[in-house]
Amino acid sequence: MDKAIIIENLSKRYKNNRGIQDINLEINGGEIFGFLGPNGAGKTTAIKIMVGLMKPDKGSVRINGYDISDEYEKAMKNVGCIVENEVHFSYLTAYENMKLRSRFYTDIDDAQIHKTLEIVGLIKYKNEKIKNYSLGMKQRFGIAIAILSNPDTIILDEPFNGLDVEGMVQMRKLILGLSKEKNTTFFISSHLIHDVELVCDRVGVIHGGKLLATDNTQDVLKNYSSLENYYLSEVDLSGNC
Amino acid sequence: MEIVKAAYINEIVKISKKKKLVVSVILSVLFVIGTAIGAYLLNNFAGIRITGGSEFSIMVLTILIYSILPLFTTFICVDMFAGEFSDNTIKFTLTGPASRIKIFLGKILTVATFIIANLFFVMILSTIASLVINKNIPNFLKIPMSYIMAFMPIFIFALVVVIISNLARGTTSAFMFSILVFLVFNGLNLVFPQTKGFLFTSTLDWYRLILGSYINFSKISRVFLILLGYCIMLITAGYYLFEKRDI
Repeated sequence: MDKAIIIENLSKRYKNNRGIQDINLEINGGEIFGFLGPNGAGKTTAIKIMVGLMKPDKGSVRINGYDISDEYEKAMKNVGCIVENEVHFSYLTAYENMKLRSRFYTDIDDAQIHKTLEIVGLIKYKNEKIKNYSLGMKQRFGIAIAILSNPDTIILDEPFNGLDVEGMVQMRKLILGLSKEKNTTFFISSHLIHDVELVCDRVGVIHGGKLLATDNTQDVLKNYSSLENYYLSEVDLSGNC
Repeated sequence: MEIVKAAYINEIVKISKKKKLVVSVILSVLFVIGTAIGAYLLNNFAGIRITGGSEFSIMVLTILIYSILPLFTTFICVDMFAGEFSDNTIKFTLTGPASRIKIFLGKILTVATFIIANLFFVMILSTIASLVINKNIPNFLKIPMSYIMAFMPIFIFALVVVIISNLARGTTSAFMFSILVFLVFNGLNLVFPQTKGFLFTSTLDWYRLILGSYINFSKISRVFLILLGYCIMLITAGYYLFEKRDI
């Protein structure tokens, strides 16, 4: 199977000694991978390095065969992402924000922008400034930006944060739909175990900056009553080592 | 090149949607009108002839490059770099399929465009005003040349602000420190004239070299090369800091 993302020995240490340490991970094409961990575990640090917002101390990330450090544009050409609570240009409208992103692509026209806004249910508000959006709308707008270019790979950092129940259901449907219809690869970091359990094919547990384990969700659920129990047992095991 | 063009258009769109641009246009108009009224009153009622035909545009330029133009340029540069870093919108810009060098070039070209547009706008306004005040024909060669030459030192100051914005933690500190650098450098030029050889602020009015009856081309070339050297060094340093910065 083609590898969409290959992470090798990825390390980054902050001045406060936190960060990530020797992360090795391979994500298959078309897979929905859940990156589970508590706040401060290193999920966002890993994602920031994956999308080029940070430089690692050591290690490498390859997306769709391209090294993120050496061939950034080629690596990111087919990647959509939300990093943390991504802030958009609040003084611009949704349409104007999407237009900013679309200029980096040759094949995105207004019809594509409208279609994307329709998918996330924001077409009615396309001419409203982002500063007037609710938190849930901003999160959905983040998804719209991420899927605008029909990317092969989507990297989402805490996509369920700030969403109400309906929003979460919609977000799960959207992820599963894109995965099924377009075979899109997803890398989703979250501390919301229930949502990860419902959408992800495979999960990885990160704690204290170290990747503790990766497993297929189905296998995990065969051996544990829930993903939550699996997560707690992995964290316990690492604590006892 | 297409990506640089896209980054440049994006930056132009962003600053055009900000109120700061409207404020800078309004203040530039008020500045020229205010100076014109002042000059007219002094010329006609106080008996003090402070400007002739082309001199008014040059006088406006001299006041402009030591006051509102560096101020507006600082606003724009701080907004474009420190502002986007502090409100996290830089993530939006940097997670697209565009390398940092191209984003950086797009931003720098936008700053240059802003300075050129501002100078051009004030030149047109001041030329019209000088026609009204003095009712004689200004020098249509030396005025545009002076405004073109004024671009370089202001652009160099903008590049200094870009470096400060890449180092600062917030917009306020970046803005205050940039203004401080401008004032201190100008102060040093006044107090210690020997610093004029290497501080770019001493060249803010280098267009004066073409205003006299004798034009010293070798001195103009020397100053031009020094300014060009400043540009190359500061663009390199600015890009280095922009590239290395973890978001």
